[in-house]
Amino acid sequence: MAAMDEKLSSGNRGNPIRCRAAVSRKPGEPLVIEEIIVAPPMPHEVRVRIVYTSLCHSDITFWKMKDFPAVFPRILGHEAIGVVESVGEEVTEVAEGDTVIPTLISECGECVDCRSTKSNLCSKLPFKQISPFMPRHETSRFTDLNGEVIYHFLSVSSFSEYTVVDIAHLTKIDSSIPIFKAAGLLGCGVSTGVGAAWRTANVEPGSTVAIFGLGSIGLAVAEGARLCGATRIIGVDVNQDKFEIGKKFGVTDFINPANCENKSVTELMIEMTKGGADYCFECVGNSSLVQQAYACCRKGWGKAIVLGVDQPGSQLTLPSYDVLHKGKTLMGSFFGGLKPKSDIPVLLNRYINKELQLDEFVTHEMTFEDINKAFDLLIEGKCLRCVICMNTVG
Amino acid sequence: MAEKVSSGSRGKPIRCRAAVCRKPGEPLVIEEIVVAPPMPHEVRIRIIYTSLCHSDIVFWKMKDFPGIFPIILGHEAIGVVESVGEDVNEVSEGDTVIPTFMAECGECRDCKSTKSNLCSSSELPFKVSPFMPRYGTSRFTDLNGETLYHFLCVSSFSEYTVIDIAHVTKIDSGIPLSKAAGLLGCGVSTGVGAAWRTAKVEPGSTVAIFGLGSIGLAVAEGARLCGATRIIGVDVNQDKFEVGKKFGLTDFVNAANSENKSASEVIIEMTDGGADYCFECVGMASVVQEAYACCRKGWGKTIVLGVDKPGSQVSIPSASILCTGKSLMGVLFGGLKPKSDIPILLNRYINKELQLDEFITHEVTFEDINKAFDLLIEGKCLRCVICMNDQ
Repeated sequence: MAAMDEKLSSGNRGNPIRCRAAVSRKPGEPLVIEEIIVAPPMPHEVRVRIVYTSLCHSDITFWKMKDFPAVFPRILGHEAIGVVESVGEEVTEVAEGDTVIPTLISECGECVDCRSTKSNLCSKLPFKQISPFMPRHETSRFTDLNGEVIYHFLSVSSFSEYTVVDIAHLTKIDSSIPIFKAAGLLGCGVSTGVGAAWRTANVEPGSTVAIFGLGSIGLAVAEGARLCGATRIIGVDVNQDKFEIGKKFGVTDFINPANCENKSVTELMIEMTKGGADYCFECVGNSSLVQQAYACCRKGWGKAIVLGVDQPGSQLTLPSYDVLHKGKTLMGSFFGGLKPKSDIPVLLNRYINKELQLDEFVTHEMTFEDINKAFDLLIEGKCLRCVICMNTVG
Repeated sequence: MAEKVSSGSRGKPIRCRAAVCRKPGEPLVIEEIVVAPPMPHEVRIRIIYTSLCHSDIVFWKMKDFPGIFPIILGHEAIGVVESVGEDVNEVSEGDTVIPTFMAECGECRDCKSTKSNLCSSSELPFKVSPFMPRYGTSRFTDLNGETLYHFLCVSSFSEYTVIDIAHVTKIDSGIPLSKAAGLLGCGVSTGVGAAWRTAKVEPGSTVAIFGLGSIGLAVAEGARLCGATRIIGVDVNQDKFEVGKKFGLTDFVNAANSENKSASEVIIEMTDGGADYCFECVGMASVVQEAYACCRKGWGKTIVLGVDKPGSQVSIPSASILCTGKSLMGVLFGGLKPKSDIPILLNRYINKELQLDEFITHEVTFEDINKAFDLLIEGKCLRCVICMNDQ
């Protein structure tokens, strides 16, 4: 089992590496564990040995997408933690052996956005959700054993024993912190949710918060709101079990749309909050839920924050009267408004200080060979985060 | 007819002139009406100056609900207290006051919060009601005894009107009553407030304003006072560029001229990515969408001030909301609390920081009030002030 993936020494520096990856070859079909070739990093790139990776709903969205912008064959996965195997030229920020978390969002540190406290949307390497390549050189580092190109995903592609990531998409983790399974969750889901409450919404102590969709993102919003001192955290989900699970993360109230007889969710929410929540978060990716979230936030100062990824081409429609007369704000939160290189370490420290929960998001673990089980569990709504353990060796 | 009525009229109905709108879209008729004395928490006011705002025109021509007739329009004005109803301590006879369509009861959760100006005192914070807000009745009757409806809790196209104390802002007695001050009852406060209080425009900002009527120009004035370095006006009327320069406009995009490119594309180009703040001051969903498109990713804010037709919808791509970091918000009365903020703006005017007189392009007597409608409809004026009293 360990034949292919025995720890490769830095003797591979500058050479292609042959290793295993879970390749998505056809939409909606199980990933195939196969040997691939990973080219050495180009300038400003880093080759990373993935230690743990986890499945996120956005992987599923692109896994099952038949048409453009989906591409195949592709290595999915974008939430992970790993170790630097080798660096390309011009990389001074990390060195071989460093622990790193790759991210779908970049931080070059130099552009106007990176230097501003008001934006986390790097302009130098702007987010291109659909790009199948490395962001800077726009080529692929993966080929299969037939020499066919395999496409990247969200500049990470973590469902592989080795991947190549642009330095702008890499956050260095302090070497004194041991690699643990839940740490990789800061690469996407938990950072997105916690950040949305903390950084984007700036939830104040005493606030009332409503969260539409209690997957890992929604529960991470709850966790973030809890840390911010929100006194009421109302979860909305069609799965009644999510209430009990949500309590761990601070959820105080629950509305099940499937159980709302005479009243709409909006009417119920406005009643129970006497006018609406201070902050409403949409964590599903459905424009009618965004409309609900907007309707449920309080007049005067209410904010509706969108985190869910909707189908390409979707439109959100709001009544002009409400936009003008209710004093509400509509905004989106990408990666929770966080700058990965500065903020991931902050969240990691809060975890180490036992303030921020991370382990509680991990409901399942499996080996790399069983990666398709993670897909089944998430599609069936039976897990939060499934952590895939890449390497049985060290 | 309009001799100054002494406080001998306290507690009694007053007979005076009003410009009554009896049929949608038809000239107002100057006729004698009867104004009942103020009920508890109400104030009867003698209007000195009033001005025409586009929202008056919208309701003036509205054939169906919520248009209602006969009605006394007008909601931007300045006047003097003639008498007060019971339980009114805030103002007394002789005080200079500015009535507002925005309420401020001072006691509800919104009034106590710095984050909201949407007073909860009425059932809906901004209900288009044809009556006095607290009692749901009218203080106006015509000489046949027929009820005349109120407008936006103000009804300033009358020599006398009755206003709920929550809708009355007292002006310091040391400040002389001026034509310009009345503009703070609606238009200028809305625009200046939107830039100052809602958007919180910072020095050095780039601002884009869609629609350069009085509201849009007031936004420019507010942005100028906030230190914006670039104020881009968008309008189909090229003349507005020259007019706008007075209020701080630095650039102009003619929305009718932009051949192959939309105004938003032009703005994105000229600002190298988009404006920090975009203000929609027209009242059209398509313009709101354009404004949203050309505010800068990362931190751009789009602020909606324009009043659209009932039933309109704004439509924005979901991906844009999620991935661009932009915000969309709407605001009434510029986010200002009338009783606290109108005096602040008035002081800035007196200190020659804030321009008000420059918004007044025309003056007419009460008898000629319909000329104001013509001028505004034809886009030939900013603010037309109606002088109620020939004394």
